[in-house]
Amino acid sequence: MDWRGLTASGEQTARWKSLAIERDRALGCFLQFDPDLGLAETAAAAEAGAAPAEGELSGVPFAVKDNIAVRSFRLTCASRLLRDLVSPYSATAVERLQKAGAVAVGKTNLDEFGMGSSTENSAFQETRNPWDLSRVPGGSSGGSAAAVAAGIVPFALGTDTGGSVRQPASFCGLYGLKPTYGAVSRYGLVAYASSLETLGIVSKTVATLERVFEIVRGRDPRDHSSLAWAPVPEKKGRLRIGVPRECARISLHADVKKAFEKTAAALKRLGHSVEEVPFPTLDHVVSSYYVIATAEASANLARFDGVRYGSRAAGAENPEALMTATRNEGFGDEVKLRILLGTYVLRSGFKDEYYLRAQRIRTAIRNDFERAFGVVDLILMPVYPVPPFARGSAEADPFTQKLADIFTCSANLAGLPALSFPAAVEGGLPIGMQFLAPPFAEERLFAACRELEAVFPSPDPPGFPAECR
Amino acid sequence: METEELFTTARMARLTLRPDEVQRLRAAVEQVLSYFSHMREIDVEGLAPTTHALLCENRLREDREDGQDLADRLLANAPEREERFIVIPNVL
Repeated sequence: MDWRGLTASGEQTARWKSLAIERDRALGCFLQFDPDLGLAETAAAAEAGAAPAEGELSGVPFAVKDNIAVRSFRLTCASRLLRDLVSPYSATAVERLQKAGAVAVGKTNLDEFGMGSSTENSAFQETRNPWDLSRVPGGSSGGSAAAVAAGIVPFALGTDTGGSVRQPASFCGLYGLKPTYGAVSRYGLVAYASSLETLGIVSKTVATLERVFEIVRGRDPRDHSSLAWAPVPEKKGRLRIGVPRECARISLHADVKKAFEKTAAALKRLGHSVEEVPFPTLDHVVSSYYVIATAEASANLARFDGVRYGSRAAGAENPEALMTATRNEGFGDEVKLRILLGTYVLRSGFKDEYYLRAQRIRTAIRNDFERAFGVVDLILMPVYPVPPFARGSAEADPFTQKLADIFTCSANLAGLPALSFPAAVEGGLPIGMQFLAPPFAEERLFAACRELEAVFPSPDPPGFPAECR
Repeated sequence: METEELFTTARMARLTLRPDEVQRLRAAVEQVLSYFSHMREIDVEGLAPTTHALLCENRLREDREDGQDLADRLLANAPEREERFIVIPNVL
């Protein structure tokens, strides 16, 4: 469908809005849905930049994960602590999209501060998978993925710290891009693990992903870790695609295995070669990732003290008691767990054993990638060892969910771009695979996914509105 | 992990744990720390620590106004305020 001008007003807009509200009622994608507010903000952004907003994205609605700032919308991070926070400004990526005419229509549900893989760690509501309401949409960008999969918006912004864009995209049958670290400004993103996280995009087509990425990428004076876009030359023709040899040791659900084999066969049919590459550090990526992520989280989340913003615990008699009570009441279990872990691994006496060691393993992981990309053009891996799991953590407790980040978090540790794509539907559930590429080789990811898209496009979940294709 | 260790860590993180949380979180912390202990198996001799994947240098920019006046919008989020001051409990 033509999404342009959809939010402008008129009969089509009204139809879209009522469809969006109805679908969201069943799925719980949005923590705030307010297209009129979004339209006003897009108008304001265009005025400030005086840019003509007549482009491809003019009037196109998009959703934003609720740990990314959109001015005038709430910015809750799905945390009780930030329940009433209204963002004073917009993230650079959001602002760039608004200047291109796109309309941020709402804020989507997530695991609190991005900590989780199911969106069940939200303090406010559950989000369901449009493919099967009894299953999770993945996480932490689960609301963004569910909203796109349901046909409410053609794309959504999320954040990927250890797989939080790619895994929900995979669980919902979509494309999910985690760009090169620094390729997209993080200004306006609520920090969780600064050295790992990137802003990412979920969409139903590769073309939309590319278009949005073109707009949001590039250096931003407000984020000193952002980098100027410096694409590596495109690789034409036959690609050498590597599969880490150590992946064979990881136990995969039969359906994921089947989807992986199907993808490898499709790539060979397209004329590419699929070969094994050594990746000896694979067994250690999850430890290294969680030590570094929790350490950074413990520092980043120190700012939530109930003093300048956020909800504040009542009755405290001194500032110290105020901070402690606010944090106790405001944070959920998973957030407290990660703050405790991060504080512990940074404590004097333990730091060398955990934090420093994890950072040195991180170097070994980067070296493994560098060696692999000396031989192959892309790396292919599953996104997650199991298909979308049932809600209520009976099939996957929080610890098992952490171990399952094994295929996704290495890209974050090495700062590499990675793109998850729909590879199969098995047993009525979508299963995704991912490509990883050297820094700034996003075009190579897009090109490979375009080829696969031609033979297997993003599948529609049951009840997907035909007009949203 | 000894309960005392957990309390010390919590204090450093400005958290106090309720008895039910102590039970739950101690088990969860122990489970993850025991998993972390596998990191000892890998040889990291001679490897420099990576702090950022692709960032090599600090970048500075000119210190100037960018035309955004956020003061009122920022103050509007303060949980307790007297005019343009944020109120906190007595320090002393």
